[in-house]
Amino acid sequence: MNFKRPWYATVLMYTALTAFLLFLGFPLLWLLSASFKSSAELNSLAVNLLPAVWDFSNYGSALERQNLLPAAGNSLMVSLATMIITVLLSMPMAYALARLKGRLRAAGTIWILTSQVFPSILIIIPLFLVLRSIGLNDTLLGLILVYVTFTLPFTLWMLQGYVAAIPVELEEAGEMDGASRITILRTIILPLLAPGLVATAMFTFVSAWNEFFLALVLLQSPELYTLPIALRSFLGAEGQTQLGPLAAGAILATIPSLIIFTILQKKLTGGMLAGAVKG
Amino acid sequence: MKKIRGIGVVAFAGVAALALSGCQQGSASNGSDGDEGGAVTLQFQSLSDQPATQDAVKSIVDEWNGENEDVQVEIVQAGWDGTFDKLITQFTGGTAPDIIHYEASSIVSFASDGYLADLTDHIDDDLKADISEGIWDSVTQDGEIIAYPSTLQSYMVFANADLLEAAGVEMPSGDTMTWEELREIAQATTTGGNYGLGWGLGSPTATMMSLSLGFDGGYFEGEGTDASIEVGDAELAVPELIHEMTYTDESVEPTSLTQSGSEVLASFYGGKVAMTVQGSFQATNIANDAPEGLNWVALPPLEGSAGAIQAANPQTYSVNIDSEYVEESAEFLNFFTSGENLAQIAYADALIPSSDSARAEVETLAADNPAWTQVLASGDGLEGPPFLKVEKYTEWKDTIATPAFQQYLADQITREELATQLTDGWTDIAD
Repeated sequence: MNFKRPWYATVLMYTALTAFLLFLGFPLLWLLSASFKSSAELNSLAVNLLPAVWDFSNYGSALERQNLLPAAGNSLMVSLATMIITVLLSMPMAYALARLKGRLRAAGTIWILTSQVFPSILIIIPLFLVLRSIGLNDTLLGLILVYVTFTLPFTLWMLQGYVAAIPVELEEAGEMDGASRITILRTIILPLLAPGLVATAMFTFVSAWNEFFLALVLLQSPELYTLPIALRSFLGAEGQTQLGPLAAGAILATIPSLIIFTILQKKLTGGMLAGAVKG
Repeated sequence: MKKIRGIGVVAFAGVAALALSGCQQGSASNGSDGDEGGAVTLQFQSLSDQPATQDAVKSIVDEWNGENEDVQVEIVQAGWDGTFDKLITQFTGGTAPDIIHYEASSIVSFASDGYLADLTDHIDDDLKADISEGIWDSVTQDGEIIAYPSTLQSYMVFANADLLEAAGVEMPSGDTMTWEELREIAQATTTGGNYGLGWGLGSPTATMMSLSLGFDGGYFEGEGTDASIEVGDAELAVPELIHEMTYTDESVEPTSLTQSGSEVLASFYGGKVAMTVQGSFQATNIANDAPEGLNWVALPPLEGSAGAIQAANPQTYSVNIDSEYVEESAEFLNFFTSGENLAQIAYADALIPSSDSARAEVETLAADNPAWTQVLASGDGLEGPPFLKVEKYTEWKDTIATPAFQQYLADQITREELATQLTDGWTDIAD
């Protein structure tokens, strides 16, 4: 079976891909451009991607004001912790959900889906009161716990799909060779699950990194503010926006995400290859 | 496999370290406290977002702290975005700060729910006399003063003087400018693809409610949950005028009606519109961002059939009713809102101070910016509007009024349909 793709299909495919990349990349390019424009240029009618005069002061303003660097540190700490805890918890739970049979599994699945129905605004006050009663309101640990709680149902749902895709026969083969359940999980399932774990980790990190509302409400002390709260401080009363510093701050805020993505993406590819060879 | 095990070990170590460090609790969560020396610390949640304003607030607080060792004030910096939800949680959870910075129209529901202290007997007599009745009225709920009013904005017409001159228009020079004058100037300056007026009315309700007072259009009668609505000729005068200028005179740039005020400024700077109606605070932004050579001026305040009246919706400083130190908080606010201090904040924020003495101070500070003269003059016509005391006003504004005004300004519904939507929508919400 060796199909030769017609030339127009290739052209269409690449056109669609280019359009998609432009669609995704243009706002980022515009943001980058805005971060180097002066307030006067940003408020002019001129539409140009390259600034008429390169103005680097927005980066200075972004870093000096609104405690952007400490906020970035807080965000990094919260996002990494949320990512690690969520992945560690999701792994065994997703395996159980995918492999176990019976009513418990059905009940678990229904509960996961149900928990996704409630918008966070509905439960924010009870959540705040619970955290306060255990002394975790206005702490980063409290925020991490809340993020893990909110992210876990979706990551479980996502990861159990990856587990279900791994043939049970592989585990049975391991059992026939005398491997224990733990050994099977460690040496067969875990490597094959790596792409799923990496995808889960990426999703969790980005969710926590970008989350605004829960952090806004649960954190009271300015020294604990996360990056989205610090960035929103550039939006003022009466709709006044300090667009230049905001764009510069947003560009700086994407750097840690890009680094994490670069690191994890390598694992994602590696995991896929490992699965392909052993499967 | 080694790699995965390694990641696992690092992960566990990371979680442990983060969990420990994450336990650090902020200092602003437990309300005020007395330290061992008997001094109290008041938490002051400030929303000031401009760097110059933040500096002014800090300087005033530092001065107070230097002079009052027994009552120290700690600034808790927060942002405007999401403040309502944050305050609801803080009040419900019992962690609200002692002193709360916000705005008159948004604190009504907190006052109705009993979260704000009655400050009537704490406010200095001099300060009471220094602020107009109309502004005090905007922060009075059921006979109780629930906040110190600080700074306000009005709607101003900014004009490109060169374009007006080129159109042969005489610059309005009186104390006020009638809507008819505005309409004539807009028509005269509409030429060859350029419009006389650009008006950012993407979120039109606040503007309509404010400027309608100039025609005696109050929309609401009564307070709290007993309020009723009336949408008659007086209430519809402003939307109708804008509609006629847009579709009959064709002197208003139609796209601008879907934009924010700030977005329209680019057209003003580029000479595409000869005039723009903006919040008075834009005077400072225009001074900073307008291209060199743009000869711009602020025109006199707009006057309707009832006068040059607009709604006073001041930024406010309230005191948490559960604070152990209501009296001390009020003492601090008497100092904080004194003429000199309020002038510093208003000047930094480019807003109109609520007190007469602060306005006089700002006039001195802003002597080199002639636009400020008109901005400050517009402050004389600011009055507490009825909608500030209507409990479900915000819900009506967001779900009924804004879409209805947007449809009318887009010429999708008639004047009568607008009135029906506004009235029936309120009936549905109030029931």
